[in-house]
Amino acid sequence: MSAIVHVEDFSFKYRDTKRRAVKHVSFDVEEGSCFAIIGANGSGKSTLCNALVGLIPHYFVGARAGRILIDGVDVAESTIAELSNTIGLVFQNPFNQLSYTAGTVAEELAYGLGNHGVARELMIERVEAVAKLMRIDHILDKNPLELSGGQVQRVAFGSTFIMEPRVLVLDECTTQLDPLGASEIFDIVKQLNADGVTVIMVDHDMERVAQYADTVMVLDRGSVAAIGAPYEVFADPELESHGVQPPDYVPLTRALGLPIEIREEPTIAAVKEVLA
Amino acid sequence: MPHHMPAMNTTVIGRLNPITKIVAVFSLGLSALAWPDFTLGLIVVALLFVVSFMAHIQKDFAKIMFGFGIPVTVMLMFIQGMYSPKNKTVLLDLGFSQLCLEGVLYAAKVVVSLLVFLGSFYIMNKTTYVGSMVAALTAVGLNAKVGYLVLASLNVVPQMQRRMAVIQEAQSARGLDATGGMLSRIKAYIPLLGPVVLSSLTDAQERGMTLETRGFGITGVRQTSYVKVDWNTMDTVANWVLGIVLLAVVVVSILMRIGVIPMLITWGGV
Amino acid sequence: MRIELKGLEHAYSKTDKALDGVDLVLEGSEPVAIIGQNGAGKTTLVKHFNGILRPTGGSVEINGVDINTRSTAEWSREVGYVFQNPDDQLFLESVRKEFEFGPRQIGMDADTIARRVNEVAELTGLSKKLDVHPFDLTPTEKKFCTIGAVIMMDPAAVIFDEPTCGQDRSGNARLKTIIERLRGQGKLCITISHDMKFVTANFSRVIVMCHGTVLLDGSVNEVFAQTDILRRSFITPPPITRVAQGAGLKETVFTVPAFINAITKERNHHG
Repeated sequence: MSAIVHVEDFSFKYRDTKRRAVKHVSFDVEEGSCFAIIGANGSGKSTLCNALVGLIPHYFVGARAGRILIDGVDVAESTIAELSNTIGLVFQNPFNQLSYTAGTVAEELAYGLGNHGVARELMIERVEAVAKLMRIDHILDKNPLELSGGQVQRVAFGSTFIMEPRVLVLDECTTQLDPLGASEIFDIVKQLNADGVTVIMVDHDMERVAQYADTVMVLDRGSVAAIGAPYEVFADPELESHGVQPPDYVPLTRALGLPIEIREEPTIAAVKEVLA
Repeated sequence: MPHHMPAMNTTVIGRLNPITKIVAVFSLGLSALAWPDFTLGLIVVALLFVVSFMAHIQKDFAKIMFGFGIPVTVMLMFIQGMYSPKNKTVLLDLGFSQLCLEGVLYAAKVVVSLLVFLGSFYIMNKTTYVGSMVAALTAVGLNAKVGYLVLASLNVVPQMQRRMAVIQEAQSARGLDATGGMLSRIKAYIPLLGPVVLSSLTDAQERGMTLETRGFGITGVRQTSYVKVDWNTMDTVANWVLGIVLLAVVVVSILMRIGVIPMLITWGGV
Repeated sequence: MRIELKGLEHAYSKTDKALDGVDLVLEGSEPVAIIGQNGAGKTTLVKHFNGILRPTGGSVEINGVDINTRSTAEWSREVGYVFQNPDDQLFLESVRKEFEFGPRQIGMDADTIARRVNEVAELTGLSKKLDVHPFDLTPTEKKFCTIGAVIMMDPAAVIFDEPTCGQDRSGNARLKTIIERLRGQGKLCITISHDMKFVTANFSRVIVMCHGTVLLDGSVNEVFAQTDILRRSFITPPPITRVAQGAGLKETVFTVPAFINAITKERNHHG
């Protein structure tokens, strides 16, 4: 079994809501792949992210069924802190991801390493490397509570992947960034993915999903509406009935009577051919 | 290797290990308390002024000491001087009451002891980065959760202030006028306190859970810290000196109280 | 509504000049989008339109009146501001009370308020949620609650700071309806956004900011035709536009029908 994430008939209902947030969800994520979860707001994407890192059931109370294995370990039988060795989550709201105990960005980045008892020399080395990669090396001395939204998002991202998790869960982790900043982050994600880190991304930007994911899962009101290769999922005319629009390249190539494309370069190439 | 820390006090005092400073607060404070009269405390207060000079914080230090010291001294001198049950020797006849020596001496001792605690604590606080303090305490076995509570609670107030400022901005953009007198401002902002506290609480809750995803509360691992806290020869010396001083003061005080050594100032007066 | 900026400067500190001489006139009801990188000065700029920030150089005039002559609370009758984070704005115990708060502050009469509550609730999709505590709304609904609370005050101009942040397709569709409605009522809608699809689909005028100055200002077609300048200010046009530009179409297009039109024209031209 090479699936590092195994979700089996998982359902969850938060204590104070009537409807189940996710219903009978099953899927596997292969080690080293990039798996995208898409769907309208309220379709259960964040609930699933919370479940993967153990916040459900260890933090959020409710009715739960099915099971989730991370690298063979049942999430329900481990702890959030233990799981953080294997799986890291970058939250939607980066401000709440700060530890509120660090006086500097450097300390903030090092926080998770400290919890895992990483030696100080190695800690400094990794802080320097991550800061450089995230382009926050010029603000290492600053108070994390006094940064702009975009900077906090970079710090939040860095402070998760500095722990070198084997699985990185990104829950709309670029909402505070401008398009350039977001693409810089995803360039890093792509590099990490190429180095073998498994990525699970939640995103509303379908062009980005089509660009990075190997597998796309569509959630609709808590259930899996579709799962498969990006091309299969996005080319399916039924997709829009689940509250999700495919990348703009799909309606464009469809209207031009061309074979369906989901990414920019092949679309440009196809259009050039039409013009030639 | 580069090392990123916030601006810190780099004087001799600032460089002391936080543990040394905690030991100093207790050793000096308890010494002043144990000594039978105010003389030792007064000497320590004078020494603290010297220390504040060494730490380059003399101005703020003086403000705190006099700002607190003068009113408390006056208050305690009068209360104790006039109403202490030990009072015998009249210093001043005020007509409605008499100010007596015994009470005044007692008040002097309480005041100097308070000032020793306050002053040494203030110096410690001003010259120590909280992160270093918690790192030092964690290194000697303080529970990581307690350390978190200390740091997080110190950060909560500035965070709430920042939030309050943003919320005020948002409400003035909705027509909430807060430009009138003090009263109208208070009236305008009372309804805002609720959401600030509420949102701080929900944020704190969400924060608690994000911390665990970064390994907070993991068991069976000895936590490490990015913040490096040095223990120098200076600290060893200071701790020995502080320990010996406290021990000596306690011994001498006991001997004086049981009458083996005569007291410098006798409570009964001349 | 006319907002005029003359040589507007804003410095947060001596070394940090967020706005460095902005000259602009915003008027009429044509929706305006302000785009640019993080830190380009977009939010600092719009915070001058209702006096949350005051110029440290130059001037801001609202309908010919200097911004400094009134408080932000007084300007709130003319200029509404929807903050990026709904949690900064909501503090009452129901959506209805949030809706009624602003209008009461500026002395709108009770009948008008009652009528507008229903209208605005419908517009923002919160008709069934009027008695719900804002705390119990979904993030999307919260955002629309803040938008509704500002529209309730019936200002002549409304500023939105990143309204599409965290919105899905249906949220974006609702925003479109709201912007069209405001335009129909003759209101001036000014929006900061990173979402280029949203910008090109809803705004006829686009202002590009960079390093505290206005780099480009014109119709959406004019602005997105300036590929070099956009690239230098790190702005990426929306996907359809990029494909058209990448394939060498001369016309700047934003929609599939416009693309088909352009390609047909070009083929006829060639053929």
